[in-house]
Amino acid sequence: MDHSIREDRGALVVSLAGDVDLESSPRARTVLLDCVGQNRTVLVDMSAIDYIDSSGVASLVEAFQSARKAGSPFALVSVSEAALRVLQLARLDRIFTIHASLDDALADGS
Amino acid sequence: MDTNGTENGPDHGHQRSSRLAQGLGLLADMSRDFADTRDIAGTLSRALIHITEYLDAEGGALFLLEDERILRCQSSVGVIQIDGLTLPADQGVVGSVVQANAGRIVRDAQTEPDFDKSVDERTGFTTRSILCAPMSIADQCIGAIELINKHGSDGPFEDADLALLEILCSSAAMALLNARLAASLVEQERMKREIELAAEIQRNLLPAAGTSGFPLFGFNIPAREVSGDFFDYFTLADGRIAWCLGDVSGKGINAALLMAKTASLYRCLGKTETNPSALLARINDEIVETATRGMFVTLIGGIYDPANDTVCFANGGHEPPLYHSRDGIFHDFPAEAPPLGILACTDGNQFPQETVRLDGGSFYVFTDGVTEGKLPNGVSLGTEGVKRSLAKDANLPLDERLKAICRMLDRDDGALHDDITVLGIDAARPTLARREAPLGDQSFTYRFAARAELLQGARNAAREYLKSQGIAQAPINDIVLAVDEACQNIIRHAYRDPDKGDIVLDMALHTSADPASSLRTLVIYVRDFAPEIDAITVAPRKLEDTRPGGLGTHFIREIMDEVAYLRPREGIGNLLRMTKEIPPIH
Repeated sequence: MDHSIREDRGALVVSLAGDVDLESSPRARTVLLDCVGQNRTVLVDMSAIDYIDSSGVASLVEAFQSARKAGSPFALVSVSEAALRVLQLARLDRIFTIHASLDDALADGS
Repeated sequence: MDTNGTENGPDHGHQRSSRLAQGLGLLADMSRDFADTRDIAGTLSRALIHITEYLDAEGGALFLLEDERILRCQSSVGVIQIDGLTLPADQGVVGSVVQANAGRIVRDAQTEPDFDKSVDERTGFTTRSILCAPMSIADQCIGAIELINKHGSDGPFEDADLALLEILCSSAAMALLNARLAASLVEQERMKREIELAAEIQRNLLPAAGTSGFPLFGFNIPAREVSGDFFDYFTLADGRIAWCLGDVSGKGINAALLMAKTASLYRCLGKTETNPSALLARINDEIVETATRGMFVTLIGGIYDPANDTVCFANGGHEPPLYHSRDGIFHDFPAEAPPLGILACTDGNQFPQETVRLDGGSFYVFTDGVTEGKLPNGVSLGTEGVKRSLAKDANLPLDERLKAICRMLDRDDGALHDDITVLGIDAARPTLARREAPLGDQSFTYRFAARAELLQGARNAAREYLKSQGIAQAPINDIVLAVDEACQNIIRHAYRDPDKGDIVLDMALHTSADPASSLRTLVIYVRDFAPEIDAITVAPRKLEDTRPGGLGTHFIREIMDEVAYLRPREGIGNLLRMTKEIPPIH
């Protein structure tokens, strides 16, 4: 798994790429929680995720719950087909805020 | 030897040493003769002639013990011809020698109380002195050699004669015992070969292992080479399945022979007589006509009709069969009729039949080797134990359910005292592709250390395999996720320490047993070698619960059609079986 963090119009955009699995999800978790800890809007770009498993989903869930507690916006963006299928299997596709593109997400103000 | 030095003149000394040399020569000749011969009786006769001549006796006889109670003259030479003569093993001078297992010299036979004068009376011969030594090895005496009357005026036999005869007798006894041992080994070997042949023929009387999806499954594990238990099933022309399971009284070859006869009668008559009650009556009458007195057969014979989902059976004195309903209720059917082979049928309804509708439940028949089989704690499994096991494994395929019972009893610790035979009928939950079925060239095996960083390699390998089988991308993604989650469960829950073991991944695609169906079944086994895990700890989470954990198991159950936690045959580790139907490729 690769990741990168950049700022775009006031939001922190975390891009995750490749396989988010049992080996890499601890890193994803740390990155996501660090960003959420900055009390800014966090958008997770999932367009380049080839594979995500339950541990990867769990990292997203934890970051989501942490942001909610802090009252800061947290959304998933451009979720790849493979990742969306897994979120659907977990019935989490309606719990996360999911935007089709970064522009949509920023326009929405989340 | 004479220890009285006064007679040891030069002549005597020369005589003695030359006699000793002769004696040793005789012993050597005899030993060689015994070693070479196959005709042990002829060799013993020749040995007796040499011994009699050498010890200068007028006559000699070789007696062998029969049944510990009788001494029979095997061979005789010289003035007495008493071949075949028998006397009680505790009578006469020979008898006293055999009983005491010690040689003796009788210097004056006529005044010896042990001497049996009747032989002299019959032969007209006068016995003056007797030299007799036991033929024995250690404590085991198998006969004796008796010499009568020292020739000429030499007087009675001497101690030296007795010492020499004892040595010669030992040599003869050794040769005879060796010959008997060799003969019994040959016989044992022959018997062993015959029993192996019988066992092979018997195994061939049992039906071949059931094919996948067949509603019947059964097996027989003999406690000895040959078995008195049997079962059989075959499909009739109209699609119904005839089956039977029986147990012959007694064990060993005689039981096996009656088993073979009953199984053959069943197979032959069962093809035309499809009414279980009438079929048992016919087999009964056949066995009564010719059976060995005292032997009988308990037998359940029946018909399973897949069209209306019913089992119809008659029970001749056998353990009650069990019906396990879909709701988990057990019902047993005690036999109302006696075993087969005891009484010829007098009326038409000696073996009443019963009918059960399976209705999603299962029907089991077994022999008392199952209910009386011992668990590791020494307690019999009992009918209740059988029920507990069947109830616990109710969601496993039929063959796994029956094998689980067998594994409790046949544990390689010699616990199996009786044959184990079980037959199950289970139509609503047809047996999945059997694990033992050859996986064929379309199978996939991948073994790797249980470490998170190796999961990606396992996923890639699984993905390649599934792609090579022509499975579409979307189901591949799902299946790979399920496999990955199963491996994660092992890494996180089963192996407590990292690097402590391997994971073995097996996948195979099976075509449907129904030729009309183009569905394929993907069977995946994920095996580890960690301590047994409790399936409850890997239970799926509740969906409304968004906390992490249990999600992986939820994925597995969501993706796969069937998921079962099994005990591996080898007894260590955990075995997860997942199956999924794969739609045809378009």
